[in-house]
Amino acid sequence: MRPATVVFAVAVAAQWIVPLSGVWLQERTIGRGLALRIECTAPDPYDVFRGRYLAVQPAEMKLPAPAGMPDAKLVTMWATLVAGDDGLSRIESLSLEPVSGPTVIRLKGVKPRSGEPKQEALLAWPFDRFYLNERLAPDADRIVAERLRAQSRPVAEIRVLEGRAVLTDVLLDGVSIRELVKRQAE
Amino acid sequence: MTLTHHRWLAEQLPQWEREGIVTADAARLLRERYAGEPRGGLAQMIVGAVGALLLGTGLIAVLASNWDDFPRWVRLGLALGPLAASQAVSVWVLGRGAAAKPWVRESAAFVQTLAAGAAMALVSQIYNLPGAWSDLVFWWCVVAVPLAWVLRSDAVAIAYLVGIAVWTVAQAEARGNWFAAADVADVRIWFPLLLAGVLPRWPGPGLRDRPEPGSRLVLAGAALVGLLAVAAYVGIRPAEGKSSFGWLALLSGVVVLLFPLDRSGIGEPLSRKPQVLLGGFTVLGIALVATYEGPARELVNSLAVGLPLGWCRLLLTIAAGFTALACWQGRRAELSVAALALVPLLAAPLSPRNESGWPLAIAFSFALLATAIALITLEFRGRRGAARIGAALITLLVVMRMADADVSLLVKGLVFIVIGSCFLGFNAFVSRRRAAAPGGRPA
Repeated sequence: MRPATVVFAVAVAAQWIVPLSGVWLQERTIGRGLALRIECTAPDPYDVFRGRYLAVQPAEMKLPAPAGMPDAKLVTMWATLVAGDDGLSRIESLSLEPVSGPTVIRLKGVKPRSGEPKQEALLAWPFDRFYLNERLAPDADRIVAERLRAQSRPVAEIRVLEGRAVLTDVLLDGVSIRELVKRQAE
Repeated sequence: MTLTHHRWLAEQLPQWEREGIVTADAARLLRERYAGEPRGGLAQMIVGAVGALLLGTGLIAVLASNWDDFPRWVRLGLALGPLAASQAVSVWVLGRGAAAKPWVRESAAFVQTLAAGAAMALVSQIYNLPGAWSDLVFWWCVVAVPLAWVLRSDAVAIAYLVGIAVWTVAQAEARGNWFAAADVADVRIWFPLLLAGVLPRWPGPGLRDRPEPGSRLVLAGAALVGLLAVAAYVGIRPAEGKSSFGWLALLSGVVVLLFPLDRSGIGEPLSRKPQVLLGGFTVLGIALVATYEGPARELVNSLAVGLPLGWCRLLLTIAAGFTALACWQGRRAELSVAALALVPLLAAPLSPRNESGWPLAIAFSFALLATAIALITLEFRGRRGAARIGAALITLLVVMRMADADVSLLVKGLVFIVIGSCFLGFNAFVSRRRAAAPGGRPA
């Protein structure tokens, strides 16, 4: 086999492996993961390559730092979520050591330098965006803003499996934001 | 002889035959001896790239309008289908070997590159994957660059160079953000590795492929931008209130300016050596700015911070190697510009850290004047110089000194008139001299 053919075959394989590895991990989590709902906020920015999305930011962004968390260093943490009476899940505990369980999410966190009044960890969740059609995004942004003003917060619907979380939908008063925008457009 | 020379010879031979300078047999022998590989050239590359771009953009626009109405498996099919189709076309093009026309190779490679990027972007959109856009650029570059090697595509090589430069700049910028800094790649290692990824295209396995002038500009620009981004990544430390960026940027300019050339490369005009222009202007630009007291003081400080750094030592070693080779090859004009990097090293003891930068500023003014005189003198002595750049440098120095001088506006105006007239007169003189020279270099 010619070297050029081998190089081309490797390139073709890599061009499939990179997207398909993402597809496999996400599909597995969506298919077998546990569904949870998390309260969020959602402004509307833009991704230069992938288009318009709602920036999904869970309401729980700051929590007391677990013991032994280093200062000013981004570390991996394991959050155990528990569902409340309202059906929304909240973080019950944060750990620097791996924890297993159906409602455990692996996320990142950082504690500001010592000297801060509160020793809190700032959390970076494993989902931060929900993509929308260019046509729907401005309406979605407006609807979210109206609901936020009316004290109604968006809810992220996620699937959790083996510490991995996949965002599957963003709900407003229990209805998918996509459906809501389409209904309004009609 | 480079392929450019081959093409030039092929263009000249018919006229030489008509004028009786060479016989028909001699012309045939010359054509056989200096037969150039049929190359795509800029037009072929543009035709291929524009066609591919229109095709891809149109397809994306049609699908995007109904995207949300498709179920996930259909969207995945639409994301990955074009990739499979473009790969099949590339296999067919590869199978044709040397019979494939350059624009077909360019189009196939570029369409596949776009399809690979679109597949990755759409999959991450379908699953709402987090992450920075620069991560996508990185993986896009990595999976696309083999197409530049295998299909000998200049368009993909250029896109790759732009991509790695943009990615490196994004990493340097993210390092300044304390929250994002932990996920930033070490561009001191990654940028040189990624830049080396273009070597199988230029110069290629046979070490014979030279980039076209337009591609050379992108190559030199990407190398310089990447090195400056690495300098910012290594040098700028806002938390510590220190920076070695100025000094590292100066060294980066020297490395690009003195990049080794073979004999035919040295013989080419300056317009075909963008690395010399870009590297030279970087060095001259930093030197001109450092003729002011404040920037000169900052440069001394950045030198003190930068010298102990491993990246600085690596750049110094490379610059020393390139300088030795340039001395051996007699590249005096480039060396006279690169020598400006010695000024902070030699003048730093006279301008201790955090004290007045005037000794260095004055040293840079005199060094720039000496460089300008060297560039003019070299050309007038029949060597490779740059008289016009030298004259422009002197003019700039005078203008900068006069602009902040404590003299009346009338005096400034008169000086500007005199220096402007001298500059124009000198340019006219150089043009006439070049036209009158044997071989009549273009004015």
